[in-house]
Amino acid sequence: MTSIKLTVNGEKFEEQIDNRLLLVDFLRDNLSLTGTHVGCTYEGVCGACTIHLDGDAVKSCMLLAVQADGHNITTVEGLSADGGLSDLQQAFNDEHGLQCGYCTPGILMNMADFLRENPNPNDEQIRHGLIGNLCRCTGYVHIVRAVKKAAKMLRDNEPEVRV
Amino acid sequence: MYPAEIKEYHRPDSINQVFEIMAHHDEGESLLLAGGQSSMQAIKSRMLRPQCIIDLQNLQELKTVKVESGTLKIGAMVRYCELAKNSALDKNFTGLKDAATHVGDRQVRNRGTIGGSVCWNYAAACTPTAVLALDGRMHLVSSKGDSRVVKADDFFLGPLDTAKSESDILICVSFEQPETKAGSAYKKWGLVKDALPVVGICAFIKLDTSGLCCEARIAVTGMGLGAQRATAGEAALLSSDGDPKSIEAAIDGICATIDAPTDLSATSDYRYQLIRNLGFEVIQIAFKRASI
Repeated sequence: MTSIKLTVNGEKFEEQIDNRLLLVDFLRDNLSLTGTHVGCTYEGVCGACTIHLDGDAVKSCMLLAVQADGHNITTVEGLSADGGLSDLQQAFNDEHGLQCGYCTPGILMNMADFLRENPNPNDEQIRHGLIGNLCRCTGYVHIVRAVKKAAKMLRDNEPEVRV
Repeated sequence: MYPAEIKEYHRPDSINQVFEIMAHHDEGESLLLAGGQSSMQAIKSRMLRPQCIIDLQNLQELKTVKVESGTLKIGAMVRYCELAKNSALDKNFTGLKDAATHVGDRQVRNRGTIGGSVCWNYAAACTPTAVLALDGRMHLVSSKGDSRVVKADDFFLGPLDTAKSESDILICVSFEQPETKAGSAYKKWGLVKDALPVVGICAFIKLDTSGLCCEARIAVTGMGLGAQRATAGEAALLSSDGDPKSIEAAIDGICATIDAPTDLSATSDYRYQLIRNLGFEVIQIAFKRASI
């Protein structure tokens, strides 16, 4: 057992955990943040568990929770500061960027990070950015459309940047 | 797929501390963890069952990219996403940049490191192939305190096997800035975009003052043997200006020396075709980049 201290969605937590506990399970089981999904039984291929670790999109099944000690984490629950929908979430709603929604939290977290680096992406860049996330419903067409719309919303909203 | 019990987790602040922790464990008990994008998979599948994980994330000296008297030194903990946008790699070492830009996916590139990849040396991996073609040097320090520099040609011994011993830690990977004009390129083909290479190939070309090739290094991966040099192909490029005929001769040389296997991903013939197509492209791009 190891004691870890970390910040998740702006809130500080201190917990005693097993060294082998994966970060995704820590978030879901210990902190009840079940928006972060497990889609591929921790195989690291589906991207549904994508979160931000110090701002970077990473798969939370690819880290031990102890590795996140001292770090700042954002999950899909923390994507919008005011409890409403972020521009990215609104764009997914507007463009029907989901069907069953299981992959959506991971895609939102990856694309939120992606849009910070690529404020004006083309379709190819978006599809390249989405490689780490599997969606078995949409065929990605509406997802790409939603990300493009979100990029425009974010650009139009500057300087008040909300992702 | 879930890790077996891990008794200890350490996050040392210095290389000396790493060795102090290692000293408390028998061989095979402790594991150095860099970005974890390969080793966590092995830990979850229980191919690796470390008693003790030594997480290298606090070793700031392993996270720098610097140029020291003509040598580019990339710290072992530098991530793919950082390599992909580091201008110090421009001009001569774009082959490594090409590789880093297309490893796995964004999330993997945000965590995975050059050091982790070369030390893991997976059977089909982009980074070792680029490091081999670019004549990289691995800077190792052992727990006894001695340091040594191992050339890529001597470092990559085969799939999941390198010249790094368990008591070594990789500090950085270095590349000599060529004194002449030079260029490099890497391309791969996988079952889906950016997947592990079914075939990956990297070319590094140096030109003399009259624009003719004075040194060529070509490395190939995807043949089940890890990254391998294709020296017969390299020889065919010497004294050429990158004309199609010389490149074709180089590719004939590569195909003659490489034993392309058939497996679930591709037949042998298909692999040779991939070597031909990708090989032609990367050699041509490397010449073009060298001539700028």
